[in-house]
Amino acid sequence: MRAKKKSKGRSQKKNPPSPPFAKGGHGGIMELQTVTIYGNVDVERVPSRILEEHIQQAVRDGARMLNIITDGQHGIGGRIWPRGETVRIIVEGPVGQRLGSMGMSGTEIIVKGSSSDDIGWLNCGAKITVLGDVTNGAFNAAAQGTLYVQGSGGARCDTMTKHNPRFDPPQSWYFRDVGDSFAEFKAGGISVVCGVNPRNPDNILGYRPCVGMVGGTIYFRGPIQGYSERDVKLLDLTPQDWEWLKTNMKPFLEAIDRISYYNELTRSPGDWKKLIAYTPQEKRTRKWFKMPLTEFRKNNWEKEVGAGGIFAEYLDHELTILPYITTGKERRNRPIWSNEKYAPPCAYACPTHIPTHKRTTLIRQGKLQEALELVLQYSPLPATVCGEICPNLCMQSCTRGHIDTPLNIDKLGSLSLDTPLLKKGDPTGRTIAIIGGGPAGMSVAWQLALKGHTISLYEASDKLGGKIELCIPRERLPHKILEKEISRFNELGIDLHLNTRIDKNKFSEIYKTHEMVVIACGAHQPIKITFPGSEDIISAYDFLKDINLGKKLDLKDKKVVIIGAGNVGMDVASESFNLGAESVIALDIQKPAAFGKELEIAKAKGTEIIWPKLTERYDKKERKIFFQDGTSLDADFVVISIGNAPLLDFLQPGIHIESGWIAVNDNYQTSDSKVYAIGDVTGLGLVTNAIGQGRLVAEYIHYQLMQAPYSPEIKQVIPYEKIKTEYYDLCRLDSFIPEKDAERCMSCATCRDCRMCEVVCYWDAISRVVYENGSYEYIVDDDKCTGCGFCAGVCPCGVWEMVENI
Amino acid sequence: MEPATGIRLDYNHQLSLREFPYIIRWRDDRCKRCGNCTAVCPVKAIEPTVKVKRVVQSEGPIPTPTTTRGITHVIEQVTDMERYCTGCGTCTLVCPNEAIEPEFNPQNKFLHYKNKGGEGYKRGGRRNDPSISTLDRLKFTRISMLTDPALDAGRHEFRIRTLLGRILPPDELPLKSENGKLVVDRESKRFIPPVREIYPIIIGSMSVGALSPPMWEGLAMGVAYLNEVEEMPVVMCTGEGGVPPRLLKSKYLKYFIIQIASGYFGWDEIIHSLPLMTEDPAGVEIKYGQGAKPGDGGLLMAQKVIKLIAQIRGVPQYIDLASPPTHQTKYSIEESVMKMIQSMSMAWGFRVPVFPKISGTKTARAVLNNLARNPYAAALSIDGEDGGTGAAYNVSLDKMGHPIASNIRECYLDLVRQGKQNELPLIAAGGIGKKGNLAANAAALIMLGASAVAVGKYIMQSTADCFGYENNRCNLCNTGKCPRGITTQDPKLYRRLDSDKVAERLVEVFKAADVELRKIFAPMGRSTELPIGMSDGLSVNDKAIAERLEISYAC
Repeated sequence: MRAKKKSKGRSQKKNPPSPPFAKGGHGGIMELQTVTIYGNVDVERVPSRILEEHIQQAVRDGARMLNIITDGQHGIGGRIWPRGETVRIIVEGPVGQRLGSMGMSGTEIIVKGSSSDDIGWLNCGAKITVLGDVTNGAFNAAAQGTLYVQGSGGARCDTMTKHNPRFDPPQSWYFRDVGDSFAEFKAGGISVVCGVNPRNPDNILGYRPCVGMVGGTIYFRGPIQGYSERDVKLLDLTPQDWEWLKTNMKPFLEAIDRISYYNELTRSPGDWKKLIAYTPQEKRTRKWFKMPLTEFRKNNWEKEVGAGGIFAEYLDHELTILPYITTGKERRNRPIWSNEKYAPPCAYACPTHIPTHKRTTLIRQGKLQEALELVLQYSPLPATVCGEICPNLCMQSCTRGHIDTPLNIDKLGSLSLDTPLLKKGDPTGRTIAIIGGGPAGMSVAWQLALKGHTISLYEASDKLGGKIELCIPRERLPHKILEKEISRFNELGIDLHLNTRIDKNKFSEIYKTHEMVVIACGAHQPIKITFPGSEDIISAYDFLKDINLGKKLDLKDKKVVIIGAGNVGMDVASESFNLGAESVIALDIQKPAAFGKELEIAKAKGTEIIWPKLTERYDKKERKIFFQDGTSLDADFVVISIGNAPLLDFLQPGIHIESGWIAVNDNYQTSDSKVYAIGDVTGLGLVTNAIGQGRLVAEYIHYQLMQAPYSPEIKQVIPYEKIKTEYYDLCRLDSFIPEKDAERCMSCATCRDCRMCEVVCYWDAISRVVYENGSYEYIVDDDKCTGCGFCAGVCPCGVWEMVENI
Repeated sequence: MEPATGIRLDYNHQLSLREFPYIIRWRDDRCKRCGNCTAVCPVKAIEPTVKVKRVVQSEGPIPTPTTTRGITHVIEQVTDMERYCTGCGTCTLVCPNEAIEPEFNPQNKFLHYKNKGGEGYKRGGRRNDPSISTLDRLKFTRISMLTDPALDAGRHEFRIRTLLGRILPPDELPLKSENGKLVVDRESKRFIPPVREIYPIIIGSMSVGALSPPMWEGLAMGVAYLNEVEEMPVVMCTGEGGVPPRLLKSKYLKYFIIQIASGYFGWDEIIHSLPLMTEDPAGVEIKYGQGAKPGDGGLLMAQKVIKLIAQIRGVPQYIDLASPPTHQTKYSIEESVMKMIQSMSMAWGFRVPVFPKISGTKTARAVLNNLARNPYAAALSIDGEDGGTGAAYNVSLDKMGHPIASNIRECYLDLVRQGKQNELPLIAAGGIGKKGNLAANAAALIMLGASAVAVGKYIMQSTADCFGYENNRCNLCNTGKCPRGITTQDPKLYRRLDSDKVAERLVEVFKAADVELRKIFAPMGRSTELPIGMSDGLSVNDKAIAERLEISYAC
């Protein structure tokens, strides 16, 4: 047992009584029963549980002043409910842990010496005064009450203290200093650390205080070494703080018997600082970064690696950020109004490149006559060729055919039959000779004459038209159409030499007297193959020519066999039936090449086509033709139709011939730069090929003669996918009306001025501009355009195209 | 064969949209036809076009059909395999009306068709396997409860660091006592390997060239920030593609591991810069393989070799740059180890840790054991099959390679058996953070035995919003058309990317990973040392995995 204290003048017994507490008398006016309770009885330590029972029993029995002589018992002084009265407890002797824990208001505990860990744990209002040090965990989770400490605190003091708004906040006062991890997760209450004679003179709040602190205030006086900066902030005292501190300092110092320090501790608010928690709002608005990255870039990074960063020396663009949706030069793609950049399928497929899309445009504009005239710029024989004998490659490729039927381009050609001759250009005085008055020769003559050149045309027969005149069955081409167009041709007034067969001398003369010579004499030498009996068969050329010249063969009830089942063979077959043939069989050694109207007509008349058949011999007496495969056919009359070769005996040696055909380059120029060759003389083709070549060579010759650089306009065909056929409804016309047909034209690759692009553009980037000459253009405002491709996506004609914006 | 006479072919040999991996869901009722989507689509998989609508109605009391016809403008997905929708969703990003969105089509037969011209499908990204990886199945089950003190990640201070470099065992250290203190005996001839204390998550090798200038610089700047401002010693591997001289000469070089690979690009420029360097790099990585594409080399397409790339790599502009699958003069481990490690160490006077990187393989232990005997080998980096790449054959990406978990585990246990587990650090890579669990995957690998992990794809996704995903989403890295501006050299695209933002995100990613690593390590009671090989902390709910990894089974 250690020193005993008197309570209100009552002395205790010298020796520990049995039972281990002694009731005292009443003192003064108050009914204040004093009791002394012993923690050690008969040299035997009383267990904490028993001591606690004794204390509780004493209070229940009315004790209000308890002297407890302890022996290391835990939890002394807590949970005392005096019901409005004050219970004073003085503790002497070794103190166990959690003294005053769960202490209630009204309980006042004075520890005469130092205490052990967790003093004041979960304090609910007790006033605890320790006249010595408190060790680790003092005041942990205290919610109310006070803790006065005369000495220092251990580690983790004042952690988890709270403030319940129903009560005053808890207060803890440390006269000297506190240990490490002070006030962790402090949620409320006031701590005061006076810093007098601290055990650690460099740091009175210990290592890393206030981690997780969310509330309350810590007043301290003296040096510290850091605190949890993310949780609390360090501030000076306000006048209110100072007032509170001065007021409450006095009772503290009195309680711990250190009132003499009052003046020193309240000398100046400047000696004190306070730590308070950041509010949740402050934490939320706190900047995540100690330094903004832009600042780091400027002040650290670029200072070290150079302005613009580590790559700046290689980059030649602005070092700025671009949005995803960009305009101007930053767009990934840009639209181009590529009006007429591509050829429409019709014009592309036509060897003469007749621009039907332009004709329909004119018709839609109400300029039918101009449309009909336009074709004459391309061909002297639109009604004959386009209208009658051409397989119309234009129509075969017409985009309109993808949804209903192609445009009636053939009928449009026929419409130009009565169109008068175009105005000729002014005479140039340039002379060109053309040998051959067939479609090729007429085409080149037409083109060059229209340009004002002086043309001499030499034709072996007595008529113009070549094979059209000679070999095409009249039933396929009404003769008056050809005659009409030839008469228009003749209006050109060219120097025409009919019945003039060219031989070496004549050619030499022509060659000398003209600046350019175009050979367009065709291929009029039937190709024959020799086999036994081949002398008894007739060529298709001669057969057809004889018919057109009026010589009538009688094939009545004859069985006709045609060797060669191409289109000429089909014409022969048709004519054979016209001449009364009983049957016609056309043979070929390979898949027959016949197509189009020729094939249709011949088949309709009953022509049979057989392949592959290689002829071995023809026996005219037996009227049988034998084949290499051992088969045979009855044949009263055999025609060979495997093509014609040109007659080139008039040529001078300087003009190169290859396999019987005149060799030409891309511009139809022969090995003699003054001599050109076109049409069948360079290789067999369609009439439309001959006309096309005539136009192209005329173009080239014109540039040569006028000494202008020749840059032919070579257009690629527009892909079908670019034409938006969806805009057009199915429309099958019963009869041909040019205006109706022009509406059906999809105007492939040519702007139809519908304004769809202008209207669809969300960004208002497209506008239509009209120039003084009446022409128009759609233009893009690059500063508005994002390159989205809507214009290209919706253009009915495929005029807009998107390109990489580079 | 030719089309039948007189018949125009229509859908013959046209692919149906159902074969495509992503199908565009476009909403007519929401679309205002502004064209944002078509303007940004990196592959031109969508385009505006025209549709016709025809409605037949009968309003009278008897059948009285009338037809109305109207045409409307729509956004349409093309069915051209060369312009397939990659599902990147840039259209969705820029659509002001939420009117368009690509939807993954699990029925797609993409790989049946993506071989035009007889060429195998090449792409970027990583293994197209969205299933849960082994790493994501591992759980941390040894929680410190009342048996031992639990730590609080928020309250307790602890550093997460690892060592890059060979660590000599104490008895091999040339130490002597001087005035009662242990000091290094400088006169000893013994080689003391260089060691760096670094953060255990390394930014994996992504080259200048594979990445765009703002992406690479953003990462580099973020690394500098983490070191200088946050005091986190994060290092980044440069990848093979040279290093900008401005960086080589700067003090920040110490935060970078320079890579040398089979193309040796940029190395003459690096050597030219040697005398100008004020700092040593953090390390040198010799790349022998890449987990994403073992046996497949690299190819930087000519159009990506712009002035910047050409000068940094020391090559002419606009040529193809090939990194072969193998180092051309090195055919054995011995040669590789002897020649390369020693030469690279020599370049910086043996002051820099030099280590090889191999792709995950069954033969990894053979390499490891060779390195264990080589005093200059600073570590072994193993890159598992779930790593990423800028360009590779799909077959290499999808079908070649070894998962990292068991590979790193068997290597670590091999070291344990030799008693060398604390000497030669293992670096694990390949699929870390595949599902976003960066810290958890890293911690799992560390506890399986890795000293550090290297991360690439996760970094691209988290710092620059890379669209890539394992349903073959986007994966356009090889085309130079990266819609985010990460893997492109086209200024129009890469100028979408703000390097400051990339750096900022990198800082956030690392700070968050650091918090999460603490949240994993603290409850397991580890605060001072990285729990390398602490496999008793791991469990998995799959017996076979548990057995293979020699960890516990928990369910």
